[in-house]
Amino acid sequence: MEDLNIQPPRGANRLLAFFCKTEYLEDIQGDLEEEYILKHQKGHLKALLWYYWQVIRLFRPGLTKSSKINHLIPTNGSMFRNHLIVAIRNLWKYKSGTAINIIGLSTGICAFILIALFIQDELSYDQHHVHADNTYRLTVKNIDKNGELSRHWAFASAGHAQRLKADYPEITHATRFYAWAFPDIQIGDKVFPSEQVVFADKDVFDVFTFPFILGNAESAFREIKSIVLTEQSAIRLFGNDWRNDDILGKTIQITRDATKASFVVSGVMEDMPENQHFHFEYLAPIEFLEPVFGEGMNNVTGNYNWLTYLRLQEGTDPRRIEQYKDDFFDKYVGLFENGIPAKKAYDFELQPLLSIHLNSHLEGEIESNGSLQQVYIFGTVGILLLVVACINYMNLATSHFSRRTKEVGVRKAIGAQKSSLIQQFLTESLMVNLLSFPVAIMLTWLALPYLNDFMGKQLTFNMLENGELLLGLILLLVMVAIISGSYPALFLSRINLIQALKGEAAINSNKWNFRSWLITFQYAVTIGLLFTLAVIEGQMKFIQNSDPGYRKDQILHLSMSRNIRNLDVFKNELLSHPAIHKATYASRVPTGRLADNWNSAFFNDQTAVETTFRLPFILADEDFLETFEIELVAGKNFTAAMEMSTDSVGYYLVNRAAAKALGFDDPEDIVGRKLSYGNYDDHTYKAGRILGVTEDFHFESLHSEITPMVILKGDWNMRTICMQISPGDVQSALAHVEETWTKFDPINSPEYQFMDDLFDQQYQAEERLSTMIKVFTVIAVLIGCLGLIGMVGFIIDTRYKEIGIRKVLGASVFSIISMIGQRFLILIGIGCLVALPTSYFFISGWLDGFVYHINIGLLLVILPAVATLVLTLITISYQTLKASLINPVECLKDE
Amino acid sequence: MKDFQLGEFEEIVLLTVAILFGDAYGVTLKAEIESRLNRKVSIGALQSALRRMEEKGYLNSEFGEATAMRGGKRKRFFTVTDLGKKALAVSRDTRNQLWDAIPDVAFKIV
Repeated sequence: MEDLNIQPPRGANRLLAFFCKTEYLEDIQGDLEEEYILKHQKGHLKALLWYYWQVIRLFRPGLTKSSKINHLIPTNGSMFRNHLIVAIRNLWKYKSGTAINIIGLSTGICAFILIALFIQDELSYDQHHVHADNTYRLTVKNIDKNGELSRHWAFASAGHAQRLKADYPEITHATRFYAWAFPDIQIGDKVFPSEQVVFADKDVFDVFTFPFILGNAESAFREIKSIVLTEQSAIRLFGNDWRNDDILGKTIQITRDATKASFVVSGVMEDMPENQHFHFEYLAPIEFLEPVFGEGMNNVTGNYNWLTYLRLQEGTDPRRIEQYKDDFFDKYVGLFENGIPAKKAYDFELQPLLSIHLNSHLEGEIESNGSLQQVYIFGTVGILLLVVACINYMNLATSHFSRRTKEVGVRKAIGAQKSSLIQQFLTESLMVNLLSFPVAIMLTWLALPYLNDFMGKQLTFNMLENGELLLGLILLLVMVAIISGSYPALFLSRINLIQALKGEAAINSNKWNFRSWLITFQYAVTIGLLFTLAVIEGQMKFIQNSDPGYRKDQILHLSMSRNIRNLDVFKNELLSHPAIHKATYASRVPTGRLADNWNSAFFNDQTAVETTFRLPFILADEDFLETFEIELVAGKNFTAAMEMSTDSVGYYLVNRAAAKALGFDDPEDIVGRKLSYGNYDDHTYKAGRILGVTEDFHFESLHSEITPMVILKGDWNMRTICMQISPGDVQSALAHVEETWTKFDPINSPEYQFMDDLFDQQYQAEERLSTMIKVFTVIAVLIGCLGLIGMVGFIIDTRYKEIGIRKVLGASVFSIISMIGQRFLILIGIGCLVALPTSYFFISGWLDGFVYHINIGLLLVILPAVATLVLTLITISYQTLKASLINPVECLKDE
Repeated sequence: MKDFQLGEFEEIVLLTVAILFGDAYGVTLKAEIESRLNRKVSIGALQSALRRMEEKGYLNSEFGEATAMRGGKRKRFFTVTDLGKKALAVSRDTRNQLWDAIPDVAFKIV
């Protein structure tokens, strides 16, 4: 139905009316509006851009008023030609000035384009799904006994999706994704180990838009044992020429542990696009898992391994679904064994699909997401750099043009109007821009691979495919030309005729004027960026130097394979190499997350009291503390004989934070006390004793506080083995590890990393931010220095005689330098006053992302100011020194 | 023959006007071409083709009734003229002749 309230953009209509033939206007505009109203449902901005784009593309010879085309060329054609010729001559005459201008402007524009591409990509995530607006991810919050949020999971339980969909009609479609721990795929006699096969509900194709190359969404999941490939996996399984074989209907074997099944290829999808928050290569119907998991498929509490997406009826408020939570848990769980209603322990949150990439950072995110903060930081910096580049041009152009006051005077004297002069200078700025843009585009083109590599993106810079980008670039060109050209043009056209003809300086360089403010702004941006960089670098250094409480050097981290059954033999075999000293199995290791949490009760005297805080656990063996060199402050370590899976008691180590949280400031006092820990619902819940207390160590990154934790002596679920290796012999040790691995698991290849790399990975986002800010700062400083060179040259030019006279009267070299330099000192001072508080505000927000962070001290504040000062002095020194050493006769002999 | 030269896009537009007999105006034409040929059509390209062919005499156009929809702006409905029909026929004949002239073996080797 048409909505009569939607108004098409008036600006675009006016533009259309301007050039379109009058007799065509009515119906074309009608057509446009009709489609516009349709498009409007998909989003206002999209429709708006579309409208403008269509109007621009209507500008074609057959459709335009023939007279209007001529109108676009200025009527005083001969003057325009003159402006062009003068512009070209002048650009050529002052080659170095032109070069400085073009370098400055194109660097700024290039930085802006790169940032714009990055942001465009970040904002485009998941937009390609047709129902994206009505799709939400179901996430589950664990609420602790005090009613506070304990953990927020990106995943839901197995039973959530289907029950919610059945009970609430607002949910029209629901799908789960379950990655069934990397089974092996076999075709004929070829084996592809550890492929990521993901199981999903039939609704998956109604929730997400996955275009098919072969087959279609309707028939893809008709059979339970069918599998959909992506182009990439099809190439891997069937070779590059898979399109030539008829692979639909072919059978592939999927093996994991004891489960073996033949699946029929039912379709091939296009690869999932980069700008999507998850990437899978195989999809198979989830019904297949029902016999494998049995009752587990109905679980609605815990076991958060099922990515769950819901598509709601058009116009449904997701908050409504979240409010069904109480009913839901009452209906399916009711009370826990300990008498607490389940609804108190869980909460639902529906995340809009489109906001996941930039806003979601929950437990177990499927891929690492972007950050809105980063988009804001980059966006701000991009705009600032562009403005700085424009300002630089304004400054240089004004100084440069003021050498041509005589020309302006002559033009005025023979009757040039103000508008004609403005046109002339705008023509020149447009020329410089037209020269800068190709340079900027080339720079972008050259720099993009580095940006991609560095940010892990696959951005492309294809102006023909990216219509928005092309349009944006044209707008940018016009905007930059007008902004940067306006001030010089207005300024010079206003000069007094008599003064101009006398050749007097158009600008008194001593006066505080608009240009001083422009330079101040440039300084402010530079100082702000330097300050930001100093803080980020300071924090990174702090992280590198801080003691995490465990050893991170020379530790090899190896992910275990389920094919390796006999853990003791494997470990001993590894330890047989002389360079491998110690080895430990653990379920999780430092630099990971403390994501596993069970119930616990502490016996202060005789009565068990349930702990009120979150006490997460890891499983480890008796060598864990020694391998990681974690200090034991009280009690004893595990012994090899302790085995929680077979013994009837539990063996626990806690960290100092846990001891404190349980009320024992002296760790000695807690040793030997009773603790029950485990999952209520199965055999793991066991009473036992706290054997020892470890010193606090940063299991998680410095972003979060050291929380209480417990180490269980366990021999199941050991996902990793970590080894201490002596520095000299790493190569042969690695070879030994690989060799041993192959003996135990010939199918998979070992995946190992060094702990210090894992440690650094925790701060990858910050590392990237730091490097990006570094690059931006260099660009800002470069542009600023170019501007300074131009400015100083101009100041010296206009005060040439003054310098001569001062020298005759006995001024020293130093006093001349300080005369020219002191002005910049004032500008830097004002720049600091503006920049430091503003950037402090931004960067302290960033620092708050770390629980352990540096304090912004006086040094960090002074450093950027001093650096700017030094940079300024170095930049202006050559010219200033030359001016101050000049022989006064040289500058006074004329006249 | 030379008088009936039709570009590929022009031919598509002309045929689509004939398909949508009586209901052929900018929006329906664009939608029809996009859905049938599975390609994007800009309004600019479509309109200039329409006007060009109107000038050549292949198409006729007249305004429809004004309604409250589309801001009260009238639609311009297009119909194929006899000349347009002839141009289409000629283009089809030409192609058929070319197809017929292909020797049988030519496609077998590929």
